[in-house]
Amino acid sequence: MTPVGAVATIGRLCRITRVTWLSELLEPGRMVSTAIQVGSQVFLTACLWTALYAHTEVSAGLQEHQAVGYAVLAVLASRLRPLSRDMAPDSFYRHMREGTILYWFLRPLPPHRYHLVRALGDQAHGLLWVLAGYGLCTTAGVVPLPDGRWTLPAFLVSMFLGQVIVYQLSLILDLLCFWTVANSNALHVSHFVQSLLSGAFAPLWFFPGWFTTANSFLPFQSTLHIPLSIYVGRIPVNRVPREVAVQAVWCLLLWLITRTLWKRAESRVAVQGG
Amino acid sequence: MAGGTALRRSVYRLRLSWKLTSLNVRARLEYRVEFALGILAGILWQASVMVFATVLISRFPGLGGWSSGGVLLIASIRLLSHAVYGVLFANVNRLHAIVQEGKLEAFLLRPLPVYRQVVLHQFHINTFGDLAVAVTLFSLALRRLALEWTPFKIVFLCAAVVGGALIEAAVQTALSCAALRSPTATADWTGWLDHTLSTFGNYPLAILPGAVSGLLTFVLPVAFIAYLPAAVLTGTYEGTLVPREIALASPCAGVVLFLAARRLWNWNMRRYEGIGG
Repeated sequence: MTPVGAVATIGRLCRITRVTWLSELLEPGRMVSTAIQVGSQVFLTACLWTALYAHTEVSAGLQEHQAVGYAVLAVLASRLRPLSRDMAPDSFYRHMREGTILYWFLRPLPPHRYHLVRALGDQAHGLLWVLAGYGLCTTAGVVPLPDGRWTLPAFLVSMFLGQVIVYQLSLILDLLCFWTVANSNALHVSHFVQSLLSGAFAPLWFFPGWFTTANSFLPFQSTLHIPLSIYVGRIPVNRVPREVAVQAVWCLLLWLITRTLWKRAESRVAVQGG
Repeated sequence: MAGGTALRRSVYRLRLSWKLTSLNVRARLEYRVEFALGILAGILWQASVMVFATVLISRFPGLGGWSSGGVLLIASIRLLSHAVYGVLFANVNRLHAIVQEGKLEAFLLRPLPVYRQVVLHQFHINTFGDLAVAVTLFSLALRRLALEWTPFKIVFLCAAVVGGALIEAAVQTALSCAALRSPTATADWTGWLDHTLSTFGNYPLAILPGAVSGLLTFVLPVAFIAYLPAAVLTGTYEGTLVPREIALASPCAGVVLFLAARRLWNWNMRRYEGIGG
């Protein structure tokens, strides 16, 4: 590819990532509601964990500031998930039901790349919310700043790999539509499982040993629990390389699965309507 | 004579509702995997409350002056009323989609009140899951609380569950009025409201700062759904912000608010101009 061609391709891809931003900007009501939702959720989470620690110094190896920081960051990180595009209407399920999924296979851009670029736009949009929330929470003292020189870089690497895993898990659910047609309930189930096993509901340190052992064989704790535990100092920096290696293995495994699913899906596109 | 006609009408409405619901369930059964996942999703969605409750029971002595059993009672009453709301009114917070897809215009042409058509539009199988979790959590709460059950307390609990369901229906109905004008902007707000009721409604409001607790008692009546009824059942009035008499009358709030919300809905419906399609 020539440099001019490469620039043109990047420009086209950037235009696709902009879709999320533009559609959100056209709906200021949605943006206000997101701000209120995130704000109220962060507020309640901080109040809950502070109240729980009212008569306790340390629980499950976590002090109050660590537990509050973990729980609040988990709430903020949930904004990084791919957006719900039901109202756009641009969800995978809507495309399958209305037959417009066909266009994904007629465009000059391969469908898997289009899906990835749209998701990048979603996650970049979510990142902006996270950064704004993080800035406010650290200023207010709700979330402590990372302790130690290597904690922040280690957290960022781990969080990035976690987001790759989040994307691949959501892609698997979207691709399921090629076999099951509808996936809204599968999305609900997955949302719960992912939230529970990643530590979004409550830090995984509070769960019984058998639960955390079983969970360590699944990819979910790599999405949130590992990066957040690194951030609050519950996982020491010398253990980070091992944890990051596990995350990288999950990225590779899930990439192989999604690659196979895309290939099989392409041979069974069924138009339901339109 | 008039009583007989009213009874016949009520029976006819019930039979019609049952028929429409059966058809909706059959339609959902067309996608078998989705149907099964729908029930599972209902269980798992509410199980997040159980997860938090498990953490609470196993690791901490209580929350906001309430024992862990008391907190479980608040959460279970909230879930029970949410399950009743789910069976009867869940479609109200899907009104934005109904308007956007242009279905409301078809409802206007049929010889049945529009609100009734909205609530009967689809049956949410997830509510079976809600109910299963609610009952489990309630039995857990009862096991941890040494409550003395009197006939008054049993009647009060039933009234509180129905009242809580009506409060949720009232709040969602009032909000859905905005969907008649701007469906896309309302979609996220209904989700937010659902989320707010389910998170703030499960815990004693005493853990929140006074102003927020007041807001959730007197502006958005979250306290009336489960917190105040649980306070009456356990006798824990400390930190409730209302006198004992108001807490005792909390189930009535649902009836009053629902009637007001329906009036507001009818008023907005009369001014509805088609925007979907």
